[in-house]
Amino acid sequence: MLNMRVLYPPALVDLNHIPGLESIRRDGDTIKIGALTRYTALEYSPVVQRHLPLVADAVRRVADRQVRNRGTLGGSLCHADPAAQMPLCAVTLGAQIQVVGPRGQRLIAAEEFFVDAYTTAIDPLEVLVEVDYPDCGGRACAFVQHVRRHGDFVTLSVAATGVRLHDGRWTGLRIGLGGLANRPILCAHIGEHLEGTRLDATTIREAANLATVGINPHTDVRGSAEYRTHLAPIYVERVLSMLSERGERG
Amino acid sequence: MSEEIRVSVTVNGRAYERLVEPRRSLADFLRHDLLLHGTHVGCEMGACGACTVLFDGQAIKSCLMLAVQAQGHEIITVESLAGRGPLHALQRAFRDCHALQCGFCTPGFLMVALALERSHRKVDQEALKEELAGNICRCTGYRGIVNAVSRFLEESDERSADA
Repeated sequence: MLNMRVLYPPALVDLNHIPGLESIRRDGDTIKIGALTRYTALEYSPVVQRHLPLVADAVRRVADRQVRNRGTLGGSLCHADPAAQMPLCAVTLGAQIQVVGPRGQRLIAAEEFFVDAYTTAIDPLEVLVEVDYPDCGGRACAFVQHVRRHGDFVTLSVAATGVRLHDGRWTGLRIGLGGLANRPILCAHIGEHLEGTRLDATTIREAANLATVGINPHTDVRGSAEYRTHLAPIYVERVLSMLSERGERG
Repeated sequence: MSEEIRVSVTVNGRAYERLVEPRRSLADFLRHDLLLHGTHVGCEMGACGACTVLFDGQAIKSCLMLAVQAQGHEIITVESLAGRGPLHALQRAFRDCHALQCGFCTPGFLMVALALERSHRKVDQEALKEELAGNICRCTGYRGIVNAVSRFLEESDERSADA
């Protein structure tokens, strides 16, 4: 942001010196990840791979190795790019975001944390310290994204998780869309449409066509509103097919 | 103009101390304050990878960090590969595989390759391309570069097996 001369802050505070914010731990059914955890650490963490497979999958698609070595989970969430991988995963998984300020600590649901493009519910005097994800070890997941060039800013991203029951029916599906609105959104109507189905090709196509319901995408340098509207059903279909295959493989 | 801050860093095993403006990027610090011109500055916004250096052993883009953030840390630049003796194995691999033309992007690729070797992470051809995806070359195409890094990593494995 500084290099692109988008921001001109009068002062910067380097959070890297605060101890204890670079951690990944499991606490009962919650996976707690410190704000300063680097993307590379998420990528190679056995805890993340086992209990947050969606995050493990999506984080490999963030920028490139050098950026993943330096960039942090907290940084990505506070930056709040509406199409970025980490905000979308947080919303799709129903994460709770822990912030601390002079008035103490509070938890904000990911869906309420992202207020607008590049704008969060965090107070200027607060700092994000931790992200708490529900354990998703038992869920299938899939993530897809559309970028103009490898490692570039994301135009559109779609995440999906759900549980495939023994009889082949699916339950608890959560579908998140990034890059189609001013913030990542959870598409409850798509999840409801898929509840109890077997995620067969016809059902998936019907669900994909719901991707643009109630959505009014914007035009920017990453893609026009028309192009985003065109891409949305294609990528929803892709992510659900992937989810279905993964569920069948177990 | 803001007040200058004292920065002590180790670069290629040598300790340096300089007064810098807080706004100074690590890339500019290496080039203008330490006169280590091997680290190249291409896009200045984290896209091209030419300014890649090792920061505590990990490849990072030095245009995306401030010099003051390097306080107390260890940096390795492309100059670490150059000696008076024979070419470094990485230099040899790049020469033998025709992995450079104008050479502007080369320091970045070399540092990513070095970090990869030090990580001892096993990478196949596809994963190697992913690891190199943060660097842009505008003249050779990437085949020679992928081949060179691949050869360097294989030789490095052989060297450590022999040892």
